[in-house]
Amino acid sequence: MTNLNPLYHSFWYLLRGAGMTVLMAGVAIVPATLFGMALALAQVFAGRVAQGAIVVYLFLMRGIPLLVLLTFAYYLLPLTGIDLPPFWGVVVVISLYYAAFMCEVFRAGILSLPIAQWDAAKSLGMPRGLMLRIVVLPQALRLAAPPFVSLCANLVKATSLVSIVGLWELTMASREIVERTLAPFQIFLGAAAIYFCICYSLALYGRHLERRVLHGH
Amino acid sequence: MVDTLNDASSTAIDGPGDRPGDGAAGQRRPMLSISGISKRFGEHQVLRDVSLSVMPGEVVVVIGPSGSGKTTLLRCINLLEDYDSGTVAVDGEPIGYRADGSGGRTRLPERAIAASREKIGIVFQSYNLFPHMNVLENIVAAPVRVKHVPRAAAEARARELLAMVGLSDKAAELPVRLSGGQQQRVAIVRALAMEPKIMLFDEVTSALDPELVGEVLAAMQQLAAQGMTMVVVTHEMSFARDIADRIVFMDGGVIVEAGKPEEILFAPRTERVRAFLKRYNDRYRL
Repeated sequence: MTNLNPLYHSFWYLLRGAGMTVLMAGVAIVPATLFGMALALAQVFAGRVAQGAIVVYLFLMRGIPLLVLLTFAYYLLPLTGIDLPPFWGVVVVISLYYAAFMCEVFRAGILSLPIAQWDAAKSLGMPRGLMLRIVVLPQALRLAAPPFVSLCANLVKATSLVSIVGLWELTMASREIVERTLAPFQIFLGAAAIYFCICYSLALYGRHLERRVLHGH
Repeated sequence: MVDTLNDASSTAIDGPGDRPGDGAAGQRRPMLSISGISKRFGEHQVLRDVSLSVMPGEVVVVIGPSGSGKTTLLRCINLLEDYDSGTVAVDGEPIGYRADGSGGRTRLPERAIAASREKIGIVFQSYNLFPHMNVLENIVAAPVRVKHVPRAAAEARARELLAMVGLSDKAAELPVRLSGGQQQRVAIVRALAMEPKIMLFDEVTSALDPELVGEVLAAMQQLAAQGMTMVVVTHEMSFARDIADRIVFMDGGVIVEAGKPEEILFAPRTERVRAFLKRYNDRYRL
């Protein structure tokens, strides 16, 4: 346990895995955010039917573990004839899953804006789109920023699950090394440290944003 | 009920007659005409067939106990609050609904409603400035993006209006850095920057520290002197007396009595107004 040599010798390999983790998370965050935002706006503004459909979607995503979704997609996708490289398949599943949580974060931001702000914007003759763009979203996004960042850290950690469907990233790389070196403690200690560094820097950034929210600009 | 209504609307049509440029008051079309507005929240009837006309340049002050429907009436004018029946017109143009001739009404499209709101300025009790924009941006945002006034012209006008209310040096400040009275004056300027045909004031001094009330009332007085058509909901009786061409007393969702300030405040005809004024005087006499 005290011998850190296996970790020392395979650290570069772990870092490459971490690079893949960051790439996968970074790529998935973009569609997850956009789709989540679209869902949130639709929930606030759309008609009853769309709202109902979104609620069902949110319940499904929140009620099914990501691991189950990933496995399901892994077996389902080939049957549907959709020929997607595994990396992109995984990105799609993670995006769809996290969009549901992003939706909640943005919706909370929008709804936490006092009604009086909407009244003021309306009374100045602003049509809905303009009101949203210059009054509602700038304030709502600022409120949503801290929980958004912590959700991103969550997403980074969730990518560790994709090793189950054979994708290579930090966790998969660790398991490979462990099979070779039989030094699980050292290797996973290293992997944990890397995950921690990625998420901790996100958390620091989130706290910085939070301070900006609390103290105005 | 019907009596008080007829009473109110007949007073309403009288108009002021004593304001600048008000020569042929009888001939002119009202700047604001509310006819037969009713609204209920569930079981509670907030407004019952309320009608009110305001002539150009006239200042109408609405008083009455809390829950009497005065704020709701004000918010119905620019459709911040929807109502169950009745119509509103500003300068002859229907707002929100168009009467279809057979006693019914059709709701105008959202775009049209947004466009009519430009003509109606409203100032709220809680200022409602946009906290993420500085004072100047608060004022020019709507003129520039809604009316497409060139930015330079909008800013010049904004600075002019800020100077009028004594806030020239605050253009670059964020709202949180201002006192309540200053924020409320900015809110007045923000509404004025849209060049509205009528200004509505919803208890604009109720949230202010007593020593800040004066500066806001002064700005409103100045506006009235310039000939702005105004509907003012307030609890400040002495201000009502000074600024009003006509005072309207509301209670239980109806206009109980309307008339010249001295009539309503010193010689009310109805028991309800007398009781209200007595309660008010008892509370505020030092």
